[in-house]
Amino acid sequence: MSRKIGTALVVGAGISGIRSALDLAENGYGVTLIDRAPHLGGLLSQLDYQFPTDRCGMCRMLPLVNRDASSQYCLRKGLFHENIDILLNTELISVDGDPGNFEARLRQTPNWVDPALCIGCGLCVDVCPVEVPDDFNEGLTRRKAIYLPVPHNIPNPYIIDFAACTRCGECQKVCPTRAIHLFDQERGRFRILVVDDEKIVRDSLKALMEEEDFRVDTAESGAQALDMLAATPYQLMLTDIKMPGMDGVEVLQKAKELLPDLTVVMMTAYATVETAVEAMKLGALDYLIKPFEPGQLIPMILRIYQGLETAQALTLNVGAVVLSGGTSFYDPKTGKDTLGYSTYPDVVTSLEFERILNPMGPTGGKLVRLSDGRPITRIAWMQCVGSRDLHENADFCSSICCMSAIKEARLAKAKAGGDLDATIYYMDMRTFNKSFQRYRDQAQKAHGIHFQRGRIHTTVLDRKTGELVLRYTDINGKIHEDRRDLLVLSVGQRPIPGMEKLAETLGIDLNAWGFAATEPFSQTRTPKDGIFLSGSSSGLKDISDSVIQASAAALNASRTLHAAGGHLSPKPSPAAEPMDVFRQLPKALVILCTCNGALAQKINLNDLAAKAASDPSVAHVEVLERVCTAEGWDQVVEQVKTVRPNRLLIGSCLPHVYARKLRKLEHETGLSSSLMEVVDLRTPLLVRGDALPDPALTSTAEILSMGLARLKRIEPLPPVTVPVEQRALVVGGGIAGMTAALAVADHGFPVDLIEKEAQVGGNLNWLSRTLEGYETKALFDETLSRIEKNPLIRVHLKSRVIDAFGQEGHFVTSIEDADGKMQSIAHGVTILATGGNEAKTTAYGYGTSPAIVTQKELAVKLEDKTLDPAQLKTVAMIQCVDSREEPRNYCSRICCASSLKFALELKTLHPDIQIVIFYRDLMAYGFYESYYTQARKAGILFIQYTPDQKPQVHVQDTKVVVRALEPIIAQDIEVTADLLVLATGIQPALPPNLAKAYGISLDPDGFFLEADSKWRPVDALKEGVFACGLSHSPRSITESIATAEAAAQRALRILSHAQLTAGKIVATVRHSLCSLCEQCISACPYEARALWAEQEKVVVHPVRCQGCGTCAAVCPNSASVLLGFTEQQMFDVIDAAIGSAMCS
Amino acid sequence: MTDFEPTIVAFFCNWCTYTAADLAGTSRLSYPANVKIIRVMCSGMVDPQYVIKALLEGADGVIIGGCNPGDCHYINGNYKARRRVKLLKEILPSFGFEAERLRLAWIAASDGILLAEMMRDFTEQIKVLGPSAPKLRMVI
Repeated sequence: MSRKIGTALVVGAGISGIRSALDLAENGYGVTLIDRAPHLGGLLSQLDYQFPTDRCGMCRMLPLVNRDASSQYCLRKGLFHENIDILLNTELISVDGDPGNFEARLRQTPNWVDPALCIGCGLCVDVCPVEVPDDFNEGLTRRKAIYLPVPHNIPNPYIIDFAACTRCGECQKVCPTRAIHLFDQERGRFRILVVDDEKIVRDSLKALMEEEDFRVDTAESGAQALDMLAATPYQLMLTDIKMPGMDGVEVLQKAKELLPDLTVVMMTAYATVETAVEAMKLGALDYLIKPFEPGQLIPMILRIYQGLETAQALTLNVGAVVLSGGTSFYDPKTGKDTLGYSTYPDVVTSLEFERILNPMGPTGGKLVRLSDGRPITRIAWMQCVGSRDLHENADFCSSICCMSAIKEARLAKAKAGGDLDATIYYMDMRTFNKSFQRYRDQAQKAHGIHFQRGRIHTTVLDRKTGELVLRYTDINGKIHEDRRDLLVLSVGQRPIPGMEKLAETLGIDLNAWGFAATEPFSQTRTPKDGIFLSGSSSGLKDISDSVIQASAAALNASRTLHAAGGHLSPKPSPAAEPMDVFRQLPKALVILCTCNGALAQKINLNDLAAKAASDPSVAHVEVLERVCTAEGWDQVVEQVKTVRPNRLLIGSCLPHVYARKLRKLEHETGLSSSLMEVVDLRTPLLVRGDALPDPALTSTAEILSMGLARLKRIEPLPPVTVPVEQRALVVGGGIAGMTAALAVADHGFPVDLIEKEAQVGGNLNWLSRTLEGYETKALFDETLSRIEKNPLIRVHLKSRVIDAFGQEGHFVTSIEDADGKMQSIAHGVTILATGGNEAKTTAYGYGTSPAIVTQKELAVKLEDKTLDPAQLKTVAMIQCVDSREEPRNYCSRICCASSLKFALELKTLHPDIQIVIFYRDLMAYGFYESYYTQARKAGILFIQYTPDQKPQVHVQDTKVVVRALEPIIAQDIEVTADLLVLATGIQPALPPNLAKAYGISLDPDGFFLEADSKWRPVDALKEGVFACGLSHSPRSITESIATAEAAAQRALRILSHAQLTAGKIVATVRHSLCSLCEQCISACPYEARALWAEQEKVVVHPVRCQGCGTCAAVCPNSASVLLGFTEQQMFDVIDAAIGSAMCS
Repeated sequence: MTDFEPTIVAFFCNWCTYTAADLAGTSRLSYPANVKIIRVMCSGMVDPQYVIKALLEGADGVIIGGCNPGDCHYINGNYKARRRVKLLKEILPSFGFEAERLRLAWIAASDGILLAEMMRDFTEQIKVLGPSAPKLRMVI
């Protein structure tokens, strides 16, 4: 029997990994979150601005219920959650075992800088003599070999770049805390054997590696190598593959028999790469393709050396694994056409441009040319660089680059104050997500960004002006020249390095381009049960889609954990009895941290301690060494236990680092963490030039007294909890609703599924298969049978919601069935899956001829055989009917794929059928692109039209004539078709009265309005209500299922708890002062306030309140109070800040 | 007036501007010691009373720092701050303070440089304005 383990492993700590980890942690599971990088945040740590707001908002991913379990500060700086262990510089090596009981092997490579000792003083950077390109700025700036990987992280210890470091030892000498240990002064003990039949290769490799102080021997044949291996225990062998006699693979096998721990790297010419990959399966660590540069070899050798010398193997028992591996990007300099990249400094990739826009970037956020620093006035973007390119083996679309380019253009425009000529060169503008089309239109109309269809084929530099001269061919074949200051290449996605090996060891599949492949109808399931995919390792996605997929992965991981019986992570040790300090006079303990002497250098800590002690509310002041270390913190705990204060003030640095420790301290001592405060004494001293002892002491004393002022008047309340009705209600029984209901019920919670029709299934009742060829009937049957078998799901057919009230944890919904029978259901969460329908149209002569049909009608006719494809000679299709223009100005996302599906199906059945598709931008995003390629290869014609020149349709007897401008030949053409198929798009079926009943809003097109389209994509602003499927947004079946799983996961965060706990910083009302003006009710962004009419009171829902304090600011009578930031506290803090209070 | 060192009180939101101040510190960007930073949860919670109180108690200038429009962790607190500041600027003169003594700044978490620049710029502006008049009166 499997052991029950309630923990999950999340691999990759980018946005998806963080979302999956937080979701699982909020469900109550323990999570280990690892990343091979030394920081959290993945790609997003480099990107500050995201479409469609052109801003950030990442912090909105943090928990809203039980929010004190997690950090409450900018997520870019860092993250902590009670249930999440974060391991950086850590890689996944292997996963063995079964779902519910995996053994994951990890390798952590500690840096030469001890993070527990590093105080971030930066003295090491000043003395480091090595300068290398800075990855954080995409190589556009330079950094030292010892550096901060991300400037704004906390905690933020310096790290050493092993490959760049020369081990001169200067940093080790100046480090005041002895945090740096250059481990590898004994490289000579690391023995390397080079096996190659060519002497020149042997000798040059030996020379190169000896320069790095390694001890290198050589062998000219496999036989000689094996003799040497038998005599000497080598650590690393580099072997050629193609050698006379024994080949490299055989050497590898025999060498591994002799020395099982030997690390082997295969060297190969391009032709034998496949053999090298085979060799990796036999135990080789990696391979190098000959000829290689020293720049490739040395970092690899150093990495291996470092890994072997210092890496620590860890083994974890986990119930499920979520892979959020992220993505790499195409490097234009490796391409067949570099477009001047790496030749001209002003040709940059989209990622580089993001850094140029950033204030911490190479130009300080100023739009100036990298070549000569002159202001940039003209920028061109070139789309699909390394995507949609058969020459680069990239028959896929990278999905996000169109929107990124528009965003970058808009940001650049804003930065330049409008005085900027921005042009985007594109093939199709793929604005396929909700609201993206309007974003694009706005970019064009309001921001004046030019969109030019075509590709730049040549880039040359005008040496006189420093401008780039771009040549491109327009759609009519005419060549144009365009002069620009900057060319931005929108580079496409590539799999992350090591993906192949990872897939191999884990037993998951890759698609034709090396991205992780998923099972049919799932964005997260892999062939290996218990291992799930999240984020861009299965294809690049924008934030919203990544977050949805991440929550869906969390749901599936949670389901695995639940099925294995590991319901909750191990129970924490019992908490100390809460200390009741109500109405007690403040008795504060003040701890001053020396910051390892850094603070003591600037000010006299004894004077500061004396000043603090002079405050009557201070019981004791203690100066401690380095509170941030484990030992230092133990002393703090000791002090609290001895002094028994009812307030704790710590003066040190980086207050945010302490949030987790304070929670633990509360757990151990019973003193509420709301009665503790950490103030930053050090940072203000760092930034201020004045080293004079007195002003520094005064300002530090002020900071301390500000902290004390806030603490003195805190009135802690016992934590408030709200009970949860652990039952879900799902409205809508299509595939999304059914999936969501099953997901919740599989966790042991009862579900009521409300369906207005006589049967469930929604659009699956008429769909038959997908573009990929997956049969939807099988999906429907399987889902239905699982629903029917699950005793926790009650299906209410022919029923509708009449009314509802309540909030997260407790809703009451009244439903009515076909007989008019009413029923009330109490539930804790609501999932809306009311679906959507194909939009009706009257355009293009629809309704005037049986030869004009919609996509749905075509599907039905093909299925029930009322249409015989053999009778069709010519079929025309028109895309974007009434779509992507006002009033339905959105892309329905699936119609292009559907047209490709029908076209390919018809063409396969009857190759002689002529098919012509009239389109605006063909939205074959992601891996759909290959079907677009396939369709063109099959001879299907694609003719682009623009909204101001739509095709003209005339009915002629039984035929339909479509007349349109063919832009390539610039002439009108006529297609006489037997059938015209109109892609009318999707309209949501989310009734406004239903939305109103649950207190949620709809977007301008009638779809569900998200709390935040990027960071909380399936949540309503009102917590406890979630949406999925077509009522959320147009999506394919697979994508709809992902939204359903995500919605279920978000719901389970609430359902998994019998009670919800309010935050400590929460608003309340002093009823004696309240005049019932209700201003606070309208000010509250979370609708956490309501008028209790009978009692004539304004009440606050403590769990829904997020503690922003807006209500307190608008209250004219000071009746509305934010605990922790009351008016009197703020006044005292202001007094202290100005220095008119104590301590001065 | 060159030796006049103004006292400035800054209400910075927990999510963006306070983070930027932290970043400015850890990046060793210098900003004037005159600015006393008070962390608040949201720029939308800065009660007009706090601004007036700070000015009456002797601050020569007040900054309210929040997230960029659209970025607010609490959905729309910064918009509320914007409206409030507009009104406050109208009534400040009736308390004897120039409207320029109050500034609202949108500073994102990664804008450490912008924050330092803004604080330097505002301090310079207040230096030009000179000590706040009611403070002078009180001294007299």
